[in-house]
Amino acid sequence: MLQVRSLFKTFGKKPALHDVGFQLERGEIYGLLGHNGAGKSTTLGIILGMVAPGQGEVLIDGISVQQNRSQALRKVGAIFEAPAFYDYLSGWENLKILMSYSGGFDEKSAREVVAKVGLQQRISSKVRTYSHGMRQRLALAQALLPEPELLLLDEPTDGLDPEGIKWFRDFILNLREEKGMTVLFNSHLLSEVELMCDRVAILREGKRVFEGAVKNLADEVPIYQVDLEPRPAVAAVISTFGGSVLEENRISLPASVDPAIVVQSLVRAGVSVREFAKVRRSLEDLYMEILDGRGSPN
Amino acid sequence: MIFLQQLHCELRKLFARPRTWMGYGAFLAMEVLILAVYKLETSQQWMRGNFERNGLEFSTYYSSLTITFTIMLLSMFILGSIYFALVAGDIVAKENEDGNLRMVFSRPISRFRLLLVKYTAVCLYTFSFVFFVGISGYGMAVAAVGWEGGLFVMEPKMKVFAAFPEWWEGASRLALSAAGIGISMITLSSIAFMFSCFKIKPAAATIITLTILFIDMILQGFPFFKPYESYFVTWRMSAWVFLMEPYLSWAKIIESYAFLFGLNISLFTVGWLAFQTRDFKT
Repeated sequence: MLQVRSLFKTFGKKPALHDVGFQLERGEIYGLLGHNGAGKSTTLGIILGMVAPGQGEVLIDGISVQQNRSQALRKVGAIFEAPAFYDYLSGWENLKILMSYSGGFDEKSAREVVAKVGLQQRISSKVRTYSHGMRQRLALAQALLPEPELLLLDEPTDGLDPEGIKWFRDFILNLREEKGMTVLFNSHLLSEVELMCDRVAILREGKRVFEGAVKNLADEVPIYQVDLEPRPAVAAVISTFGGSVLEENRISLPASVDPAIVVQSLVRAGVSVREFAKVRRSLEDLYMEILDGRGSPN
Repeated sequence: MIFLQQLHCELRKLFARPRTWMGYGAFLAMEVLILAVYKLETSQQWMRGNFERNGLEFSTYYSSLTITFTIMLLSMFILGSIYFALVAGDIVAKENEDGNLRMVFSRPISRFRLLLVKYTAVCLYTFSFVFFVGISGYGMAVAAVGWEGGLFVMEPKMKVFAAFPEWWEGASRLALSAAGIGISMITLSSIAFMFSCFKIKPAAATIITLTILFIDMILQGFPFFKPYESYFVTWRMSAWVFLMEPYLSWAKIIESYAFLFGLNISLFTVGWLAFQTRDFKT
């Protein structure tokens, strides 16, 4: 559905993207992570044709955004952090204006979408009277109106309360379930990305340093919570298995290593084993490892 | 059809902004002021002297048409240009500043099409605003001095002097000149529009436009530049006054409007090229 091919971009002399590429299959929810300035928004800008890449290309359903933007974006919807509407107009008028740029406004479809996002009571009010949550619902409505097959979400849940975040997450998951929509989700909220996404990529300083399936995160490089003494002996034994001591009470081992054999070796080396338990590795663990430079680039 | 829908939406946005209406309010206030001055005894005495020195009857030419012409002549280039520069300078730059453009750019509309819609809206605003000033000025003048009478025209800078004793002839010339002013002022809006497409603040687009306009007007007044006056934009923009000459010289009028038309297209093209090559980060 979406192919991002080897993007390079510099702003002045500052490199913003260096060989960033990934691919989204139809119906997939893909998370794009990274700290501020990592290149997430630039990537999104290139996908939407708002930023011209130095090199590389984006294909949406096989159509190049760089060569035929109008055709490529025909089935795309996008939501941005703090969406900027025409505040002096009503929500309904905003939808009319934005849809006029997408080939026309269909009142019946608009009413259905507005009801779906739960904004029918306030759609005729001026946008300046909307709360942040209502603005996000309006943003969702405008993104859904062209009946998109690809939805681009740039920090959509920033500033929402927990209830709003949950509503948003359920809504997106439901869209995928019902319509098989493909979603590119750019967020700082790692727990949300973990709950929503099938796969994630992590960008660091304009480079993609990780890509993997969320459900396999725990299995790729298992981590163990341990209480072992003496430490020098622990490090020696663990290194013989290709593992490493992460912090005081945590070690990692390659997925192929049987932890029972490691425990036997530790005991044989005179190490006191008080605790040795596999911990589920969260996306946050992986993210912090990669950004600290401890994780292995993929 | 879609273009018309987009244009309708653009005009809706334009006229929903309070700053768009500032110009209308300012002109209505100014028209009231000019009419009050015209009603003063000393002002009428001065006009009587002016008409009679030229062999014209005061009762025929002290009329709503003459007052309307004076309002348009005095106000359009100075006061009108401020509002045209303000609105046209805002139309792209303000949306970029407010972040609206990134919502628009998530839509499958080309940058050229987007600018064309916005430029058309600016042209319509400019043209219709001139007619608003003319019609409202005439309405007020009719209320003050009645509808009858001819039209007296005197524009020393462009050397145009004319008197139309019949109401219908004066009214039709006044309408023709309003159309001429409208087309002329589109050039000013085009300058502001071009700057609005650059990566600058909306206020900067307005100020740069007015600076160019005023420098052009000042330099044009220098005796040194007299032989080159036809190269000045404001001189070409003043060509609407030729529509008031007793015998219309269409060649002279068309030459100036062709110059302005070419300039407008060039300004739009430069603005579009600048806009097309810009990156808009989310």
